[in-house]
Amino acid sequence: MWHKISFRLLKQELKRGELTIMALAIILSVTAVLSLSLFSERLQSGLLERSSEFLAADRVLSSRRDINQDWLEEAQSRDIKTAWRVVFNSMAFANDKLQLIDVKAVSDGYPLRGELRIADTPFVEGEVAKGLPAAGEAWVASSLFQALQIDLGDSIEVGNSAFKVTKVVTYEPDVGFSVFTDSPNVIIPYSQLEQTGLIQPGSRVRYNVLMAGSQDALADYEQWLLPQLNDDTHSWRSIEDGDSPLARSLNRAERFMMLASLLGVVLAATAVAVAAQRYCQRNYDVVAIFKTLGASRQQIRRIFILHLLLLTALSVGIGMILGWLIQSFVIDWVAQQLDAELPAATVKPYLLAAATGIISAVMFTLYPLFRLVAIPPLRVLHRQLVGAQAVRWLQWILSGGTIYGLLVLYSQQWWLSTALFAGGAFAAVLLLGIGRLLINASRKAGMQAGSAWRLAMAGLQRRAAANSVQMLAFSTAIMLLLLVIVLRNDLLADWQRQLPDDAPNYFALNIAEEKVPDLQAMFERENIEATDQYPIVPGRVTYHNGERLLAEVTKEDRDDEEREEGREGFGRELSMTWRDTVPPNNEIVEGSWWGDNAEPQVSVELNAAERLDIQVGDELTFNIGGEEFTVPVTSLREADWSTLQPNFYMVFNTNTLQDFPATYITSFHLDEDRKDELYELFRPFPEASLIDLDAIIDQIREVISQVSLAILFVLVLVIVAGALVLIAQVQASMEERQKELVILRTLGAPGKLLSRSITYEFLVLGGISGLIATIAMDISLLILQTQAFNMDATWHWRLWLVGPLTGAIVVGVLGRLSCSRLIRRNTAQLIRKLA
Amino acid sequence: MLIQAQQLEKIVETSEGPLQILQPINVAINAGETVAIVGASGSGKSTLLSLLAGLDLATSGEVLIDNEKLSELDEEQRAKVRADKVGFIFQQFLLVPSLSALENVMLPAELAGHKGAEKEARELLAKVGLEDRWHHYPNQLSGGEQQRVAIARAFVGQPKILFADEPTGNLDTHTGDKVEQLLFDLNKDYGTTLIMVTHDNQLAEKCQRVLRMEAGELAEATRDVA
Ligand SMILES: Nc1ncnc2c1ncn2[C@@H]1O[C@H](COP(=O)(O)OP(=O)(O)O)[C@@H](O)[C@H]1O
Ligand SMILES: [Mg+2]
Repeated sequence: MWHKISFRLLKQELKRGELTIMALAIILSVTAVLSLSLFSERLQSGLLERSSEFLAADRVLSSRRDINQDWLEEAQSRDIKTAWRVVFNSMAFANDKLQLIDVKAVSDGYPLRGELRIADTPFVEGEVAKGLPAAGEAWVASSLFQALQIDLGDSIEVGNSAFKVTKVVTYEPDVGFSVFTDSPNVIIPYSQLEQTGLIQPGSRVRYNVLMAGSQDALADYEQWLLPQLNDDTHSWRSIEDGDSPLARSLNRAERFMMLASLLGVVLAATAVAVAAQRYCQRNYDVVAIFKTLGASRQQIRRIFILHLLLLTALSVGIGMILGWLIQSFVIDWVAQQLDAELPAATVKPYLLAAATGIISAVMFTLYPLFRLVAIPPLRVLHRQLVGAQAVRWLQWILSGGTIYGLLVLYSQQWWLSTALFAGGAFAAVLLLGIGRLLINASRKAGMQAGSAWRLAMAGLQRRAAANSVQMLAFSTAIMLLLLVIVLRNDLLADWQRQLPDDAPNYFALNIAEEKVPDLQAMFERENIEATDQYPIVPGRVTYHNGERLLAEVTKEDRDDEEREEGREGFGRELSMTWRDTVPPNNEIVEGSWWGDNAEPQVSVELNAAERLDIQVGDELTFNIGGEEFTVPVTSLREADWSTLQPNFYMVFNTNTLQDFPATYITSFHLDEDRKDELYELFRPFPEASLIDLDAIIDQIREVISQVSLAILFVLVLVIVAGALVLIAQVQASMEERQKELVILRTLGAPGKLLSRSITYEFLVLGGISGLIATIAMDISLLILQTQAFNMDATWHWRLWLVGPLTGAIVVGVLGRLSCSRLIRRNTAQLIRKLA
Repeated sequence: MLIQAQQLEKIVETSEGPLQILQPINVAINAGETVAIVGASGSGKSTLLSLLAGLDLATSGEVLIDNEKLSELDEEQRAKVRADKVGFIFQQFLLVPSLSALENVMLPAELAGHKGAEKEARELLAKVGLEDRWHHYPNQLSGGEQQRVAIARAFVGQPKILFADEPTGNLDTHTGDKVEQLLFDLNKDYGTTLIMVTHDNQLAEKCQRVLRMEAGELAEATRDVA
């Protein structure tokens, strides 16, 4: 029988709109979580797929030694495509000229992701290659044509073999960013690798197996493979592991999406919590009546639990459908905007969304429901009776635990959830305290004001306890909103700064010292924007504070090199430079720059210093072309690797390095439509190597625009969630006010006075919440920017005005709207409604 | 003897110390009797009613319904007694706002697990003259109509005892009279024991017995008091 009553209550209350807020809150939380996680999952795998082009694969297994053929076969048996890419340095010989080159021997299928572009003339855009060089042929980079002065059809000698050059490679997806060490690439067929005779025991070769396949297959394979890998020899990489600007942008975007979604989830959960409280409160009288009519506790419990579950199921269902619809519209739109197809999602987001809806509905209702069951029947006579007051902290623990649980469930990251939660809890306690203080203060200030104002302040004061909780909800909503908006702006601005429209799109390196003035003159004459010209001196770091550093990183190499004693060093030759001024986009974080000081010294890049444990004051010994010298470290520099500017680990003062032979590097921006001039412009500098960054820049831009769209979407959802919290909260507090309103109205208070006093009350509440939100937001932002996003911390002084103002206006208007409905009714109606 | 109160006392704790709302009360009510409790506002009428109905527990003394000691029952068992034997009518009607008239009337029968609740409820609605309004919600009904629904609800399941706390207190005289008439008519039909708190002397006169409450003390009033 009781279930009939549940069904009936549900049906009628739905019809009468009494459950709207609660249902909306649950629907919203499910919709938000589902669409967000579906969207971000699909977008992310889309992005990954896109950016995998930079690896030319989804995963790369690489090693200094030949790779076990069984591993490839295992991969193939799991429907994973594989291709070889073996890379080593060598010399190419033609026209009596020698040039250091990077040989890249690739097998069929390469590149597994992205595309190889080829052409018949150097330095043009080229078109997508269908296939690879045939046996005996090589495709070579544009700059090699310059360096060796060859034409298409000429032969070059590499090792024991001669290769006929049949195409110009204009774009390789996996060219990477290590411009300083890059020599022109020569692509030859993998099948001819042995023939070159260049691979001897001990030669520096990097064997790579490229792999591409579905995420699941790759994940499974990874499980199988990883235990068999030798940490010292093998590396297993995906695009996210890199340190490229793209990887950074991606990681940052991912973190933002995660964080914003988390905030969205918290907001939605807050909305559910507020609504649940109200849902139970409005049933107090109903329960008292039921009990008077002879309902047992068990019946009450069953009726309302079933009622709640039905409501939850219904709302979750609607939320799922809505979430799916929204997400597919958005995805369609995004796909259209980006002209890209996004892969389908897994079942995980659906489970996550349903779980979020159910957990927040059930958990937040648990405590109020508990009180509901305890309502004594005598309430029918004494309306103030609410029964046994369960301990208040139980509610806090339940709600806190739920939010924490949701955070963990959604992010699957303990530390992030714990940090966010601890910060949030701390802020909440602080907010409650500050809120009370402010309310007290504003009352004193308002004593002399007009009567509506006084009424408002008296009201605020009387409900101080309820108000500070309410303010917590307001502040949370406003704060999270501000936070997401500001983060988004900062993130976009940061990207914009990283890649302005005139970002350098070419590197020119290997420029002879005596040609530097000519080059500079050419740039000026042609109106080309270029960075400073940096001298490059190749060298090694051999000792740190007298301790020997090894030349190679891997253990294997150490074995080869007769078991040298010593510590791991950089493992390769470094490009070093000298300067009088701090390089642009660099910042001294420790020690000081030399200025005019001519004493030999060096400034070390921060990451490198951390890796080798180098401090200011340490001594480093360098070997440049066989000459060794020792200098002190006088500063540590933070370099911005995300800009496309030359960056250096080691920068010396002029005096120390200028006598060593150097070549120069610069990066410059050349407009798209002037590309064909490039060959002419650089004809006077035949030794210079050019590296085209346009393709890479384009791809980063594309990724950024995808992510921006995603962020916009998240923003909209968070705003909707925030608005719902505000509405739910205002409605709930309006209900509390009803009785008082009726009394005042009955006593003849004019409607204008009442609505004005309520509006003031909400204005003040909103203003204070806005202020608190701003404070909390700026502090969290400070922490987030510096800790989670590696961005510079910025104060957002404008928000100190916008926050309180928006809070006051939005909350004030919402309050006004919902009270005017009440006041428009006549008193008799109101009294009856209360009865 | 259907209801018996023995040395019934109610003392509540207030901020100014204990407050005795009911002095020890002894009263016995037979099945089928109609009893009015009159007295000034604040004299303790509602408190007595809530004790007799088992909505609240006495500080000391005993209430027996059908020879069952309410103090020996827990809240659940008292709820069962209410479900089986008791009906209520209140000054504020106390209908469930989100349920229609019909559904409100069906409620006690459903809670008690009776079959045919709807049929019975419809019949009762017809008896109170609201058969056409069965689908209306409380806020779509006038005060008199709401109280008629409450009366119909009180009789559903044919309780042995009906408690009414100022059933016409919120109604104008004319409507009050009509509702009153209805209450007594139904009461007669069903042969229910009626215990009614009222200010209304006319209404009190229609009862077989009148009890007068004065500052927490109960006395049997003589007929001519009114
Ligand atoms: N829980 C309580 N706490 C304090 N005083 C109470 C409580 N319940 C009733 N009273 C007081 O007891 C007196 C009798 O109340 P009540 O029975 O409602 O009177 P009546 O129904 O006759 O008007 C009133 O003065 C009331 O204020
Ligand atoms: Mg009373």
